[in-house]
Amino acid sequence: MVIMEPEQWDLTVSSRHKLLDFKLRELIRYRDLILMFFWRDFVTVYKQTVLGPLWYIISPLCSTLVYAFAFGNIAGIGTDGIPSLLFYYGGTMLWTYFSTCLNSASGIFLANADTFGKVYFPRLAVPIATTFSSLFKMLIQFAMLMVFLVYFIATGSPVRPSASALLFPLMLLWLGALGTGVGMIFSALTTKYRDLSHVLALGLQLAMYITPVVYPLSQVPENFRIYFYFNPVSAPMELFRIWFYGVGTVPNEMIMISLVSTAVIVFVGLILFYQTERTFMDVI
Amino acid sequence: MATAVKIENLSKYYRLGVINNGVLWQDMQSYFARLFNVEDPNKEIGREEVYDKEGFWALSGIDLEIEQGDRVAIMGRNGAGKSTLLRILSRITVPTKGCFHVKGRIASLLEVGTGFHRELTGRENIFMNGAILGMKRREVARKLDEIIAFSEIDHHHIDTPVKRYSSGMYVRLGFAIAAHLESEILIADEVLAVGDIAFRQKAIGKMNELSKEYGRTVLFVSHMPGIVYQLCNKGIVLEHGKVTVEMCPVEEAGTKYLELIGTVE
Repeated sequence: MVIMEPEQWDLTVSSRHKLLDFKLRELIRYRDLILMFFWRDFVTVYKQTVLGPLWYIISPLCSTLVYAFAFGNIAGIGTDGIPSLLFYYGGTMLWTYFSTCLNSASGIFLANADTFGKVYFPRLAVPIATTFSSLFKMLIQFAMLMVFLVYFIATGSPVRPSASALLFPLMLLWLGALGTGVGMIFSALTTKYRDLSHVLALGLQLAMYITPVVYPLSQVPENFRIYFYFNPVSAPMELFRIWFYGVGTVPNEMIMISLVSTAVIVFVGLILFYQTERTFMDVI
Repeated sequence: MATAVKIENLSKYYRLGVINNGVLWQDMQSYFARLFNVEDPNKEIGREEVYDKEGFWALSGIDLEIEQGDRVAIMGRNGAGKSTLLRILSRITVPTKGCFHVKGRIASLLEVGTGFHRELTGRENIFMNGAILGMKRREVARKLDEIIAFSEIDHHHIDTPVKRYSSGMYVRLGFAIAAHLESEILIADEVLAVGDIAFRQKAIGKMNELSKEYGRTVLFVSHMPGIVYQLCNKGIVLEHGKVTVEMCPVEEAGTKYLELIGTVE
């Protein structure tokens, strides 16, 4: 009998685990799986539909119409002088990106229980893939927004994109990480406390109205603004309008708070996610 | 011979009855208490051990060493802990105590066709399922024709969504993919009960070929003695989460197992 040195094993699984072991190398080995999940999300949703991916653009356009009517025309909330189409479409696009990242990450354990119960693969592959799916949808919508933007600039509207707009990919990372991070926290907790999925559905619906999506921050009375510092989604929303339309209000402190809380949320989300991954098949 | 899998003092505890009737706040208190090694404020007075009468040990103190190239049949009655052991080795769940070490890649087949998507075609599902089982895209592409040929699905059906498949076609495709996995260790739980008699024979033949010709290590659970004797060279018997018959030639383990059942009933 050959006695093996511990380092000769390819895999060791024990009842104890390191809190900060995110197994990234294994994740990289499974990159083809991430791609397959991403591709599956995209393909299966639009099989047997007539309009296919066009729905990505139709839905934000419909929301834009309704928001412009309800908040612009009826409630009379200003848009900082940004044309309604650009203002509401941009807001909807970003909010949808954030909330889809959050939603799809939050349901991971419950939605994939059948697969997770039969095969091992790094579970983090799933939220990564869903985040890429949300990103992909958003980029299609963004391409459409660029068409609108060019049109409005050409027809002399007072919108001025700045060079900072080139940082947009970083903003997508920021917003995607924030959404997926919050989603991962919920995904871990909902395996034990199912009520949270109802809380989340309601919360996300309402959260849009306490985030500067359908109104600019400048329309918020001074004494309420303090609350927006605690909503990490506020900063990217306003920043987007500053970068692409040239109008908006965003104090530096708000950006800092948002970035720091994003980092904390992603970190906590990862820890909870890995914790849940280990034993959730026993409690589900 | 070198060791392929080494299992040390592996135990798995399951709670019974109502799980999760806890209050979120209490659970958080307990969690942080454990994390920072302070006393749990929700601990019931006089209860020292976390593992109490409310649960049971599905596995307790399993020590096992499996050598490379061994094809081990795990026998035992329902509830003896066979599936729990395979689930832990497949990394579906973690042990409560103890650990295991593995040399080589593990492919586990606890079910065929895991992750098949109804809307995707047979061909697309081969790539999907292959990726879930840990195959690289290139690897699947290389073996695609072989997999399709093995599944006996004709070229009309292979590009049809699997929701239109008969149940036989579905499992045949699932098995065909799994049979083409490249791994040093194979874990299988009753997956040979697929398709009609003819396909089942073919599946057993394939498993035989895979394990014997490529010197693969196999851990196999099945209630069909015929298949077990055909496929495996060694066997163990589990009872109430403990190994009652240590690793020995499969016929010997089988005979002892039958004796055990006789005495129990």
